[in-house]
Amino acid sequence: MPVSAAETFLQKRLCDSLAPQELEIVDESHRHIGHAGANASGVGSHFRVRIVAGAFEGLSRVQRHRLVYRALRDEAGGALGCGIHALELIALSPGEESSEA
Amino acid sequence: MNTQTHERIANEISKQDVVLFMKGTPQAPQCGFSSQVAQLLAHLGVNFHSVNVLEDDDIRNGIKQYSDWPTIPQLYIKGEFVGGCDIVREMFQSGELQQHLAEKKIVT
Repeated sequence: MPVSAAETFLQKRLCDSLAPQELEIVDESHRHIGHAGANASGVGSHFRVRIVAGAFEGLSRVQRHRLVYRALRDEAGGALGCGIHALELIALSPGEESSEA
Repeated sequence: MNTQTHERIANEISKQDVVLFMKGTPQAPQCGFSSQVAQLLAHLGVNFHSVNVLEDDDIRNGIKQYSDWPTIPQLYIKGEFVGGCDIVREMFQSGELQQHLAEKKIVT
């Protein structure tokens, strides 16, 4: 399956702003076809993202997620950019991966 | 966001100790993520006030600015923003959510 514009956008924005040690992006849009916010193509709207980055060190979960969301805002500032509707997010600092459930 | 919307959101958040902004209602959720959080709260036996953002575009857009959080659902406990679906689920799985509710003296 070709990589969607949204996935390229996620990859670029997250690498640029958080310099992650690990970054996994899985497009799960096909599981949400027909839901509000999904598009008809089944790609590019819903993602599962796992990031390991030093930037998360010492931050609460809410602060970590806000960092990620901030990196992904569109020009207007409110919503996520590039047609992205939802992210399932795992944000870890280096060293926390080993304790992952 | 105008002042009126800001006040309406603050008012919703103050209505009960636990407030969930979601798509749809606990009985008829319109989104899998909203549904998960509503079910989890029900599972814990928490009474909560839910706000269906699909019924009101001002609140739907306003809450994202209010919380500095771009997605729905959003959970508030005693006026404090706790997180969205992933965070609430993680907190539930680790027992932190139950502990947090107990510390805030919310009966479950």
